[in-house]
Amino acid sequence: MLGRIFRRLRALFDRGALDRELDEELRYHLEREAELHLAEGMSREEARLAALRGFGGVTRAKEECREARGVRLFEDLWQDVRYGLRTFRKKPGFTLVAVLTLALGIGANAAIFSVVNGVLLKSLPFPDPERLVALNETTESGRATAVAFPDYLDWRAGQSVFEELAARMPAGGVLTGDGEPERVTGRLVTASFFKTLGVTPAAGRFFTEGEDRPGGGRVMVLGHGLWQRRYGGDPEVVGRTVLYNGESWTVAGVMPPQFDFYGENNLNNEFFIPLGHLYDQQWMNDRDSHVVMVTARLKPGVSLEQARAQLGALAARLAEQFPASNRGEGARLSSFLDDYVGAARPALLMLMAAVGAVLLIACANVANLLLVRAAGRRKEIALRVALGAGRGRVVRQLLTESLLLALAGGATGLLFAWWGVGALLRLAPDVLPRAESISLDGRALGFTFALTLLTGVAFGVVPALQTSKADLNDAMKSGGVRGGTGGRWLRSGLVVTEVALSLVLLVGAGLLLRSFWQLMRVEPGFEARDVLTLRLRLPDAKYTDVEKSVVFLKEVKRRVEALQGVRRVSLATGFPFGRASEHGYLLEGRPEPRQPSERPDAYVQWVSPEFHQTLGIPLLAGRYIEERDAADSPPVALVDDDFVRRNFPGGSPRDALGKRVRFGGDEEPWCEIVGVVGHARQNGLDEEGRPGIYRPWTQIRPDLAAGYTRAMDLIVKTSIEPTRLVEPIRGEVQALDRDQPLGNVRTLASLVEQTIAPRRFSMTLAAVFAFVALVLGAVGLYGVLSYTVAQRAREIGIRMALGAQRKDVHRLVIAQGMALALGGVAAGVAASLALTRLMSGLLFGVSATDAPTFVLITLLLLLVALVACYLPARRASKVDPLIALRYE
Amino acid sequence: MGLNKRTDLLQQGTLELLVLRLLRTGALNGWDIMQRIRVVSDEVLSITPGALYPALHRLEERGLVRAEWASSENNRQAKFYRLTPAGRKQLEAERETWERFAGAIDAILRDA
Repeated sequence: MLGRIFRRLRALFDRGALDRELDEELRYHLEREAELHLAEGMSREEARLAALRGFGGVTRAKEECREARGVRLFEDLWQDVRYGLRTFRKKPGFTLVAVLTLALGIGANAAIFSVVNGVLLKSLPFPDPERLVALNETTESGRATAVAFPDYLDWRAGQSVFEELAARMPAGGVLTGDGEPERVTGRLVTASFFKTLGVTPAAGRFFTEGEDRPGGGRVMVLGHGLWQRRYGGDPEVVGRTVLYNGESWTVAGVMPPQFDFYGENNLNNEFFIPLGHLYDQQWMNDRDSHVVMVTARLKPGVSLEQARAQLGALAARLAEQFPASNRGEGARLSSFLDDYVGAARPALLMLMAAVGAVLLIACANVANLLLVRAAGRRKEIALRVALGAGRGRVVRQLLTESLLLALAGGATGLLFAWWGVGALLRLAPDVLPRAESISLDGRALGFTFALTLLTGVAFGVVPALQTSKADLNDAMKSGGVRGGTGGRWLRSGLVVTEVALSLVLLVGAGLLLRSFWQLMRVEPGFEARDVLTLRLRLPDAKYTDVEKSVVFLKEVKRRVEALQGVRRVSLATGFPFGRASEHGYLLEGRPEPRQPSERPDAYVQWVSPEFHQTLGIPLLAGRYIEERDAADSPPVALVDDDFVRRNFPGGSPRDALGKRVRFGGDEEPWCEIVGVVGHARQNGLDEEGRPGIYRPWTQIRPDLAAGYTRAMDLIVKTSIEPTRLVEPIRGEVQALDRDQPLGNVRTLASLVEQTIAPRRFSMTLAAVFAFVALVLGAVGLYGVLSYTVAQRAREIGIRMALGAQRKDVHRLVIAQGMALALGGVAAGVAASLALTRLMSGLLFGVSATDAPTFVLITLLLLLVALVACYLPARRASKVDPLIALRYE
Repeated sequence: MGLNKRTDLLQQGTLELLVLRLLRTGALNGWDIMQRIRVVSDEVLSITPGALYPALHRLEERGLVRAEWASSENNRQAKFYRLTPAGRKQLEAERETWERFAGAIDAILRDA
């Protein structure tokens, strides 16, 4: 074995010595043979020749000996590479176009693959992440909801398929002391959370079951990011206390640096505190309050199906046991990764398909270039075949050349991709989950390399086979530029394919564009321009009673109203595209459903007067909420026209006035509907949403008021650029309370923009790729026609000599080009009709076979094709018959 | 090359088997091997040195023979080939296969 490797290496590096040895060996043989012949009485020279004759081809034998030692392959490769590089240097224009085309195709693929890899493929930074699952409850209509905490406890007690389950809720508050007050977002989690995920602390420890209960101690686990940022990564912080919402919490430990759990830039993961602090809350023990999110780890060897079956059985048992709250409820189990990033999958797969198509077009283009060039090289290749190169040898050389092109394209493409990934990363955080794990990593590089080799073969193999068929006689006879008819069909076929693929991409991008346009035309029902929103999160320890909070909030409102550039200010527990809580409601006099959970839901917001005026939500009947709606005055509510439509079919807004509505049980008051306002979309422009109900914030139930008033949103309508008011507002707030930070400072317009950002993202990318496809397709068409014109110069010359007009020639070329384009368009339309259906989930307000889009795109493509045909046609009509005929 | 691919391959295999057989008794150089082949099979197989040397190099590459330079009978340096243990095994195996094959053919021809 070693000997063999040694021989191989020697064969590679010490070719000279091996060749000398071979020469020596054969010379010995020939001399012995000659001696025999001498003995038979031949002359010395005769004997030498006879020995050579008897040998049967010395040169060839040497070749075969070399080949036997596996040297040939390398020698040939090196020779081919040098030869290829030489031909590229001789044709820099061709080389540049081919390499750039390939670089575009490969680069786009590498960039999008990096995104797909980071978001969908890369495994999560937990041990055995494939065993992690997300659990939800489902309503009677099959909608997934959060889980009621008692149901979670019963699941956990009754199951045998999970190693561990964990529940969590979002938490947010203010850190004070140690420098600037800072708003942080984290999670309330069960002690089992850390074990479920299988993480180990970077410092200190996580909290225990004993600490995870009411009064179990204020212990906190810091997220790695917060630890680094606020505490400089100081391990000494473990065991110290920090001030969270005005109370002392002991830092138990620190999360590891890689922690990728439903984060938005890993906000939401800044700290972790025991969920146990809430266990004695009444709503926590209510099977109607779906408040916790649940993650679980499957036992090894348990399949999703098995777990699903058991969970379903558990949910069914609960439904039977607690019909009042749980009837009709089910459970849903999905893989963690799916639950986390599943929503981004369709758009990413669509983009991957789009860049795939771009690469195919690039391949077709380069294949065409090679075919054209090959026609010019037929003489050379025929000569090589005639001189003894086998066809396989010629194919190998041509393939080496195309691989070289592909490698150059791949390397340049990586540069493009590197730049592209950077650009995508700037867009991605608002758009994609797990954006922080997107990078051009080893796997992406491997993918790019494999793709590059594949590309080289894909665009090289057909031209190589086609070219190597060259027949010497034929090639030598013809003028050198004329290709075979087979080549022409092939080239036409490639162009038709290119046009068809471009059309598919353009139609796809066009549909996304139309969707986006439709979305932008949606009336959200409020005025988002010049509105600044921010949250005032008042620490419990400082704002011990409602009165204190209310006084503070009213004073903030008064001071902000007095600022320059402020038009209106209002306070609310939520606002459109901010947050909204859903509650079931009951209209007086309507039959009560069998269970509370079957009540229709509405978005309920507690607002100060002027809320609707601040947001430009129109009044349709009755009145707005006013100052006179105080705590001790009769309870009132505003509803929106969506509420009216659902509850008073065919009625007008006036019909709702004077009716009474109620949330929750009998302890809740009936509220008189005193006004009807326009419906405002709450979550997204593409979501009609639920009806809205608004109540005066002064009338919040006393036992809930403390909680609500500690987290109110301030909504400011401005007459100047809203962000210019952030600092003045901060000044006013901190003049009142030095430790009070502003949370969630956003313009309303940016919140709306954020909901359409994913669509903008995929639309923009699809449009870019479609444009690239269009350009490549046009270049392909242009290239083929230019070549045909050059090839047919003589024919055209004869025609013109025989009296054809320039415009006839013109028409001839254009007709040829447009025939190809039309063929491509027809194939493309057929393919699009089949393919766009797959992306209907990404569309809004437009069907996958939207006729205007198809027509417009087809016209656009034909127009571009016409331009691509025009230039070669003009050149053809300028052919001088004399020169053309003399040419051969 | 005048022969078609199949006979070519057949011949190559036969040639290699023949070479292995000739080397069983000791080291030989290329010319010696050629002389012996002429004696055994000149009539049946048209083997030229042009085919023999590549075959030797292939066998060496596959580790079935080993080569070394040594003095030949007339005191000149020549390259001698000798069987390796692997080559010996290969020869045994090939011979068995051949005998089984020949036996089968023989049986068929007898019956017919």
